Amino acid sequence: MNEHLPAVLFLLPLFAAIAMPVVCLKHREWSRPISLTVLSAMVVVSVLNLNSVIRYGEVRYAFSGWAPPLGIEWVADGLASVVLVALSVLGLLALVFAGPTAPRDLGGRVVHFYVLILLLIAALTGIAFAGDLFNLFVFLEVAAIASYGLVGVAGGKALFAAFRYLLLGTLGASLYLLGVSYFYAASGTLNMADMAEQLPHLLTSKAVVGGLLFMFIGLGIKMALVPFHVWLPDAYTHAPESISPILAALVTKVALLGWIRIIYWVLGAKVIIYDIPVLLLVGVLGTLAAVIGAVLALMARNIKTMFAYGGISHIGIILIGVTQGNKTGFAGGVFYLLNDAVMQGALFFLAGALVFQYGVRTVQDLGQIGKRVPWLTGALIVIALGMVGLPPTGGFFGKWYIILGALEAHNYVAVAAVLLSTLLTLAYFVKLFEAMFRQRPPRSDILQSELPLSCKLSLGVTTASIVMLGLFSDPIVQWILNQALPPTL
Amino acid sequence: MIRPHDSIIVQSLGRFLIPVTQMFGLYVLFFGQYGPGGGFVGGVILGTSMIFSVLAFGHDASRSQLAKKVLHGDGVGMLIYAGVGGLCMIGGGEFLNFADFEIPGLETASRRSLGIVLTQLGVAVDVAVTAVSIVFSLSAEEIIEDSLNG
Repeated sequence: MNEHLPAVLFLLPLFAAIAMPVVCLKHREWSRPISLTVLSAMVVVSVLNLNSVIRYGEVRYAFSGWAPPLGIEWVADGLASVVLVALSVLGLLALVFAGPTAPRDLGGRVVHFYVLILLLIAALTGIAFAGDLFNLFVFLEVAAIASYGLVGVAGGKALFAAFRYLLLGTLGASLYLLGVSYFYAASGTLNMADMAEQLPHLLTSKAVVGGLLFMFIGLGIKMALVPFHVWLPDAYTHAPESISPILAALVTKVALLGWIRIIYWVLGAKVIIYDIPVLLLVGVLGTLAAVIGAVLALMARNIKTMFAYGGISHIGIILIGVTQGNKTGFAGGVFYLLNDAVMQGALFFLAGALVFQYGVRTVQDLGQIGKRVPWLTGALIVIALGMVGLPPTGGFFGKWYIILGALEAHNYVAVAAVLLSTLLTLAYFVKLFEAMFRQRPPRSDILQSELPLSCKLSLGVTTASIVMLGLFSDPIVQWILNQALPPTL
Repeated sequence: MIRPHDSIIVQSLGRFLIPVTQMFGLYVLFFGQYGPGGGFVGGVILGTSMIFSVLAFGHDASRSQLAKKVLHGDGVGMLIYAGVGGLCMIGGGEFLNFADFEIPGLETASRRSLGIVLTQLGVAVDVAVTAVSIVFSLSAEEIIEDSLNG
């Protein structure tokens, strides 16, 4: 039974999504309970799957019984399984949050709204589990198409942001597909494990070099790495409040996971092409992203834009961690990826609650809230500790291992970049707190409106997990070092 | 709303061509087991015939229940597909491993045959419905709105 869990985990949201319009034909209001049930089942299955992977090792699932490299393979190793647990839990919380904050004028489209959310989650599951490069592309596209729809669902300015996201996202997907076809032409296979055996003889082939470049640019657009990040802030700012948490927490991180898969599982960590270490190249871009994202966040006036740029800078920090080419850095990067998913979720729950409940969009307006809403103030303090990276939050331990890894690799520029981005993160949170605690008469209607329970629940659980991840950082990082490392490291 | 085409040539040809197209679509769908063909191509051909009938004879959404229901048909196809896959998993094999298709009293060969036909049927329904719904959504927005609100 255990070996079926990865397939079940992916098929649950996929089939629920596509069957939902028929099931909810007469009863539109069923769509939310069905989605919640599916996501809760996913949480259970993903925990069972992680448990089975910890106990019995990785699971390779060949669909239809066709053996790879011919068949389609699902690889549930330590890395994918632990990311899947984070993905299902955050997906469930985002769905809980999405209920009361969903756009009010959805009408009959509410079924489609939940269909798109479930499709997005199914596709992200597929990206995490995919054992071959082409299926990675398919699920990147499904995830992207679901996100375009979700960003634009509210209409107005969001449509414009969604259209820009669509153009850039399609460009990214096309470049990635072009890269995959080059790899296929050179190696004659698409399966990752099979290709990993073929590639060492082909590294001087121009097709592999070109394909790698295309794939990297394509995935760079998907994960909003700094030169290619322009679609992200607008899309996240104008997306409906109920949608931006799920996008911010999961979409870019899972694209980054796809990149980690390719660079470590397909190419091998120490790969050098034409005297250029690929890891170093990616690490430089990560260093740039970490600093530039934080600077842009400091300049942002809208709260959601600020958090979106913060996410861009953290993508850079994760990349710094995973590209140091040693175990400490890799474990730190993966641990920080989990943390960042939780923190971005929490940040956008907070920003969503601010917009939805109080109509507060900019840093200036934050003064109207003041200290009147203890839930939001408390959550913001904990999240700020995590984002800046102070103990005992998970953010601290993630950055700690990343810096240790960079020191081990004698990469002092990367250490400086992490520290600089930490300082800049501190700066933009100080800006938030300064606005929040400045003595100004708060708006009178703040006192009357209480946050909905679902907002409190999702915000509370994510905020608590930031601290819990810090408290249990040692066993988690040890486990990543033991079971989730790539074979080539 | 899509009005009927006002040319007698289009309508007469449609009367003749639509059933032929549908037969051909079904043939391609079921021939897929033995040779070139299968669910996707068969579904496209079936969908084409339905699009032709809509374009030639018109489609008044207020009178037709089909227009409202057809947009949700991809769920039906998916349920067939998921049902076959799920029965294979219950039989102990991988998802869609037809050798373990759990239908009592069948040889392995018949299981494989039945399994692939049913899956392709599910795919064909999905593809045909998607093709039709694309035409509807491009031509007449109120049909979709009606079907969603009613």
